[in-house]
Amino acid sequence: MNEMLQGILSWDFIAAGIRVTTPILLAALGALVAESAGTPNIALEGIMLISAFIGVIISGFTGSLWLAILMGIIVGISVAAVLAYFALKLKTDIILAAIALNIFASGGTIFFLAMLTGDKGSSASVNSLLIPNIAIPVIDKIPVLGDILSGHHSITYVAILLIFVVQYLMYKTPLGLRIRAVGENPDAAESVGISVIKTRFIALMISGFLASLGGLFLSMGYVSWFARDMTAGRGWIALAAQALGGLNAFGVAAGSFLFGFTEAASYSLQIFDIPYEFTQSLPFIITIIVLGIYAWRKVKVSGKLGPSNPAENISKE
Amino acid sequence: MMKSDRRFTLYRIGISVGIALLIGYIIVFISSIPSGDMEWIKKMKEAFNSANEAYKYFLTGALVKWRASGASFNQSGFIQWINEAVPIIITGLAVSIVFTAKQFNIGAEGQMFLGAAIATAVAIYFPGIPFVSTVFVILTAMAVGAGFAAIPGYMKAKLKASELVTSLMLNYVAFFMGLFIIKTFLRDTQAGSLVSLAFQKQTMLPLLNDRYQWHIGIFIALGLTILVWFMMKKTTWGYKVKMIGDNIKFAEYSGINSAKMIFQVQVVSGAVAGTAGIIELLGYHGRFLWLYSPGYGWDGIIIATLARNNPLFVPLAALFLSYIRVGAKIMGRYTSIAPEIVAILQAVIILLVTAEAFLAKWKQKSINKEATRSQKMTTPVEVGEVR
Repeated sequence: MNEMLQGILSWDFIAAGIRVTTPILLAALGALVAESAGTPNIALEGIMLISAFIGVIISGFTGSLWLAILMGIIVGISVAAVLAYFALKLKTDIILAAIALNIFASGGTIFFLAMLTGDKGSSASVNSLLIPNIAIPVIDKIPVLGDILSGHHSITYVAILLIFVVQYLMYKTPLGLRIRAVGENPDAAESVGISVIKTRFIALMISGFLASLGGLFLSMGYVSWFARDMTAGRGWIALAAQALGGLNAFGVAAGSFLFGFTEAASYSLQIFDIPYEFTQSLPFIITIIVLGIYAWRKVKVSGKLGPSNPAENISKE
Repeated sequence: MMKSDRRFTLYRIGISVGIALLIGYIIVFISSIPSGDMEWIKKMKEAFNSANEAYKYFLTGALVKWRASGASFNQSGFIQWINEAVPIIITGLAVSIVFTAKQFNIGAEGQMFLGAAIATAVAIYFPGIPFVSTVFVILTAMAVGAGFAAIPGYMKAKLKASELVTSLMLNYVAFFMGLFIIKTFLRDTQAGSLVSLAFQKQTMLPLLNDRYQWHIGIFIALGLTILVWFMMKKTTWGYKVKMIGDNIKFAEYSGINSAKMIFQVQVVSGAVAGTAGIIELLGYHGRFLWLYSPGYGWDGIIIATLARNNPLFVPLAALFLSYIRVGAKIMGRYTSIAPEIVAILQAVIILLVTAEAFLAKWKQKSINKEATRSQKMTTPVEVGEVR
């Protein structure tokens, strides 16, 4: 037992946990913004994958890190805009449209990878660039604190910062107010002059931006190549983390860290005969139970006459 | 449904497929442009020729074997086409049931995976009696799928928790549980990779063609299609499901217990989805060999969408999907075009088929036409409403 705790509580483990959490956190913040607007973005998985791909390809073929980051973000936002266009203008069911985009991302990246490099598995032959880690000057010299605070990937710092930015955006700015208003009651929002479609378009594009950063981290930080389906369900896990944390950025961040650290723990716990399948599925089981408790409390409070949950309103529209 | 409505839906699916194939052609064309120093006209000509050649394999490869001496029937392609349609017909049916009630079931993937994994245990250890044990194995998978679907069903019906999120989460639980079962209890330690022990011979599905492993799964799938069609269109239960989908408030006012129906719909859908994986294993592979989820649950969503949730159209949509997939694989064998191009086509088709407003102006015109043809059917409200 002692050994087990030591394995879990080592600095390496914490560093690994933070690394695993970063892409989930970014996508989960994206899920938060989209969900707040009443338009759940299920395409996060695909957006991350496409941005990861674009980052590797652009940096490999042009040698420019900044261009790669810029294009990764622009393409990620564009995919979200396609989703928004189909869902809001052409009235496609947003869930089905997002599933289509995920299918496109999974197969399309493999197709274009094969077309550009001749290899269908990974971009090993492409000499792509890495986004660097950051050592914070003074703090990295302090023994314990330095290990925890310094030396992480630049996007990890950006992600941590973005927790506060998203929280501020959603609860302290006019745009955030509009997004929440549109999500809560689109008719009421429309009646006071807020353009529902425009606001949702913006919210989805913000979520695309956040997810694209997560994708860039995966292929230009977590590892240094693109591999087929390398997101491996992180976009879905992000949705779970968002569901767990509700519409509060700090809650969502806590949910993301739970998922990230259980995944990191699943590798260390394998040594102690705890099957990693069990630790890996634990966060999902926790999410289901927590969702069940949320829902049960809501049903109990509102009774039969109370308002139904917002998710139901969306599916009815 | 008005006649023009149905015709319009058909046109829209046709046009969507056409646009998808065109986009595919353009991509193939661009990737066929040869590099090197050449006049651009010559380059275009060469790209045009090789793109046509690639599309010939893509569109006909599943049925026709192209040889220098001439074309002949491609038996292996045909059998592969039919075999690959089997699991996705079944998941397509499962998804169309929940979609009819305007519910979601993203969990078909997990229900299918876990159903296959647990039924694998039965297929290995249950005494191999022809027919009896096969049926027993399939029923086991069915029960597992139903049981697993009961969780999101219950949470939606009783607690109003979004089935979208819960069924999605359960996919992962099912995936890890399934792998764990195979790895710990059923693993074939002689094999190089992680696969289960082989099924008993007598448990396997009978074959129609030994050489290319054409199994009778297609008849099971078609039988299920008729069963689901009967349930949805000819029984009160099916009618209630449709009423819930059309207008849940109205259904409740007319005395339907909507919570109960939502639960039942999820369970029935799960039972159907549960069988999709094991039927393929029983017919083709003879053991459990998936390290990744094969994605049939997702395909089911595409197919139910294409079939407009009508069970009778599900096999057609599934056969279409597996036709272009087999065609793409054959194209990949003869040219340098990766078969994953199909994913791009699928995405375009789903996006356009489900886009309500796509071609809506055209629909407007055809409605007007029909209205003028039969004067008494003019409904100004309906005409005015369509934006």
